Amino acid sequence: MSAVRLPRSPKVLVGAGIVGFFVILTVVGPWLAPDNPSATIFPPNLTPSASHWLGTTTLGQDIFSQLLVGARATMVVALVAGVVATIFSMTVGVAAGYLGGKTDDGLSLLSNVFLAIPGLPLLIVIDSYLPAGGRSNAFAIGLIISLTGWAWGARVLRAQTMSLRNRDFVEAARIIGESRRRIMLFEIAPNLLPVLASSLLFTILYSIGAYVTLAYVGLTSTAVWNWGTMMFWAQANNAPLANEWYWFVPPGICIALIGTGLALMNFGIDEFINPRLRAAGLSSKVRRASGLPRRPRLGYTPVARSALRTSPTTTKIGVR
Amino acid sequence: MRMLARRLSLYVVTAWVAITVNFLLPRLMPGNPVQTLIGKMTGQITPQQVQAIRLAFGMDLNQNLWDQYMGYWHQLLLGNLGVSITLSTPVATVLASAVPWTVGLIGVSTILSFIIGTFAGALLGWFRGSRLDSIIPVATFFQAVPYFFLGTVVLLVFGSNLHWFPVLGAYSPSVTPGMHWDFVLSLIRYGQLPVITIVLSSIAGWMLGMRNMMITMIAEDFVLMAVAKGLPRRKVIMHAARNAVLPSVANLSLAIGLVVSGALLVELVFNYPGVGNLLLQAVQNEDYPLIQGIFLIITMTVLGANLLADVLYFILDPRTRTEAAV
Amino acid sequence: MEETITPDAINAENDTVLDIENFSVDYGWGENAVRAVNNVTLSVRRSRVLGVAGESGSGKSTLVYAVTRLLRSPGVIAGGNARLTFDDPSASDSKRRTVDLMAATSRELRSIRWSQLSIVLQSALNALNPVLRIGHEFDEVLKAHRSGMNKAQRRERATELLGMVGLNDDRLARFPHELSGGQRQRIMIALALALDPQLVIMDEPTTALDVVTQREIINELAQLRARFGFSMIFITHDLSLLVELADDIAVMYAGNVVEWAPATDLYTAPRHPYTLGLLNSSPPLSGERRELVGIAGSPPDLSQPLSGCSFHARCPYALERCATDVPELRVLDQTGRKVACWLHDTPAMVPAPLRRELATAQPHPQVSDPVTGEEVAQ
Repeated sequence: MSAVRLPRSPKVLVGAGIVGFFVILTVVGPWLAPDNPSATIFPPNLTPSASHWLGTTTLGQDIFSQLLVGARATMVVALVAGVVATIFSMTVGVAAGYLGGKTDDGLSLLSNVFLAIPGLPLLIVIDSYLPAGGRSNAFAIGLIISLTGWAWGARVLRAQTMSLRNRDFVEAARIIGESRRRIMLFEIAPNLLPVLASSLLFTILYSIGAYVTLAYVGLTSTAVWNWGTMMFWAQANNAPLANEWYWFVPPGICIALIGTGLALMNFGIDEFINPRLRAAGLSSKVRRASGLPRRPRLGYTPVARSALRTSPTTTKIGVR
Repeated sequence: MRMLARRLSLYVVTAWVAITVNFLLPRLMPGNPVQTLIGKMTGQITPQQVQAIRLAFGMDLNQNLWDQYMGYWHQLLLGNLGVSITLSTPVATVLASAVPWTVGLIGVSTILSFIIGTFAGALLGWFRGSRLDSIIPVATFFQAVPYFFLGTVVLLVFGSNLHWFPVLGAYSPSVTPGMHWDFVLSLIRYGQLPVITIVLSSIAGWMLGMRNMMITMIAEDFVLMAVAKGLPRRKVIMHAARNAVLPSVANLSLAIGLVVSGALLVELVFNYPGVGNLLLQAVQNEDYPLIQGIFLIITMTVLGANLLADVLYFILDPRTRTEAAV
Repeated sequence: MEETITPDAINAENDTVLDIENFSVDYGWGENAVRAVNNVTLSVRRSRVLGVAGESGSGKSTLVYAVTRLLRSPGVIAGGNARLTFDDPSASDSKRRTVDLMAATSRELRSIRWSQLSIVLQSALNALNPVLRIGHEFDEVLKAHRSGMNKAQRRERATELLGMVGLNDDRLARFPHELSGGQRQRIMIALALALDPQLVIMDEPTTALDVVTQREIINELAQLRARFGFSMIFITHDLSLLVELADDIAVMYAGNVVEWAPATDLYTAPRHPYTLGLLNSSPPLSGERRELVGIAGSPPDLSQPLSGCSFHARCPYALERCATDVPELRVLDQTGRKVACWLHDTPAMVPAPLRRELATAQPHPQVSDPVTGEEVAQ
């Protein structure tokens, strides 16, 4: 498994495209924003128009600018939380899976406890004790989110490590006498890549949800624009009931799109890890030419009539 | 049996961790709630009153941390969770009226979501490659939408605009709560939108997980055998599904925490009188005793639900029941 | 081993249960297709056992699964016919009915499956649903095909079937993981016989078992077959096992049938170099120990185009033409045995090990050592 090749299915490409778009938006969003998102300089409650693509808030702020600026905080927190949590789950998961014994028992217990405690209520409790400075700090929030989001990945990575541990190449390295740390870093870690990538995607997805939720509940600083804060203000000003969809729908759609993109990418990784999930690559043209059904059906092996008369020497069916 | 015993001990440890975290947080975090409260009332209260507040919070400065911890456990075992600052009512009393709503709402939604999602996932897995596959990206999208956002959209479209469903609260204000049909019907009518929201948000996980497991199971010999036996297709699918559902049930106990997390906010959107709504009010009012009580009750309820899910797994997989091979 | 059916080759010749004609199977489609079974013609005689032998990858399992339409994707039947002939239970005059398995609708296939054609897989642990009780496996088969039976009758039948393989009916309440490997495989055999099928396919049913259990099960199978008279296809890589059980043996190599002959003839006097190699590499049935010799080289990569005889690269007797011309499976002599080998075109050129005299027409278990050709004392 030296070269990790992800299947280039349309799902993965679409997913990567969506995520790529938002990553670019994270970088350039604040520069693209036409106005200062906090400035209350426009007439309130404008509906979408050419000058205000998504209208204005009850305070007269430009909603489109808020959306563009808000991308950055949302993505940065999600990335910080995702990366920190994944590093943590990898450390715990690989150590537990590789070392086994008492270490495994202890670390497994730790991750199971964190899995069993409902994340969001814990997050809300911790966050409610944070002073205002902490609530506006993207890294502080990211760290707290990672605290509630690492356990699932650790569990998956532990299982994968355990199965890798008993494979021949790891056994060989052990017999040669390589150090445990070397085996973990150079033999096991690279083979965990697909699972690790999948875990990272999921943790980022979770972190976006968690951060936006905290903001929506009003537990992050309202001075920092993110998509959750936008929805917090929209809700606080009764935008949903006033039918001001252009205020609260765009941030929600953005979150859902990123989430969909991440999940689509994860499908590709799933198919990489579990080959059974891969669809059989059969173009409709070949299928028609051979008279084969659209979908393989268990217990009814297809009979290709077009290939009925081939000479015994040919090993390949010619499709005409 | 050993599996259940092991899970039970995990939940006991988890409960202990949650309780201890709950004890330590207000004492270690910079925004100490007692200080905040006292700070707010500086000049208005006497030192005796300050001491009374400290005692009420179990944060007597004359006690060391260990004694405070013991005192905390003592109060907890007596069912004393403190008094809500804003409501001036014992936290336990406030929770007692809110918990049934949440357990009902999330319980019904989770069971529905699990059953429908698993069923749909079994079909998706079996008919992989058919047109049904187009459901997958749609389901993925719904999974990625935050619960509260989907709730808001559902509320707006089906409640406010189409007027298909009543929108706010748990039952009609014109009905007196009690054990009679009018009240039950009203409960169902008002519960529809929140339930639909939670089901839509959580169903994709069950569906996709089940689909993947079905695809994995179809490659097993016993499914081929079911075909070779000339069983009707429905029975063949059942052979695969009966096994594919096991990981889903095993994951049920892990997923309940996530569903609860999301569903709590749906209560806020629909103004449902459960603990989620209560928690957010408490957060906004900085009602720390209430926040802590809610966190504890949510954690304990989730652990209870986990245990139920484990029992279900125990029933469904005969391999966990065997003590020794014959 | 008792043998109640007298060998009557001439009469039984045309009375077949399964006819496979020019049958080819591919893995994959179009450009990427790999031919796994190539133009195979075989038949299974009524109440007889056809053994199919070959190394792994020879296409023996692929052939049988494709014929029964149970081969999984990406397997595709690339051509040929397969017909199952059986006594139609629904017809009052017990008429023979023939079903073209390649043209059968899913409904027809479903009604034939298990009632006329059942299968036992290598690993019973995988073939039994891990979360269902053994009784359920019997019950659902009887329910699906014998709608007239009530619950008590089904239970009675299941008990009877278990008794046939020497198991007590308390096994019905067990789960697969609670039973030993031998018990599980016996249950699979009992299950395969539940509906009195015409043909039972055994796909290496004893490979996963220890030698003692393997022996017991082979003996039981022989007795059951003698008692109920079903036909059987027995797939294995172990030729010496087949000699005990099979009436005919077909040897497959790289997707082709290279030799097809009565079991004893094939065992005592192989005519194809590959059969000879297989015999030399498996321990003799009984008698003196001798050195086992493997076949040099490895089976060909089927994804690459082959020319000539698929075995020529490993064949110690290969002629020049073997590299270019494909030998067809042809009748060799008056016994009707068939072989696909150019050596036999020129009788003078056949090397001594492939020219061995047939043992005088005696039913087994009298067999002779394949190397020395001497009869082995029983």
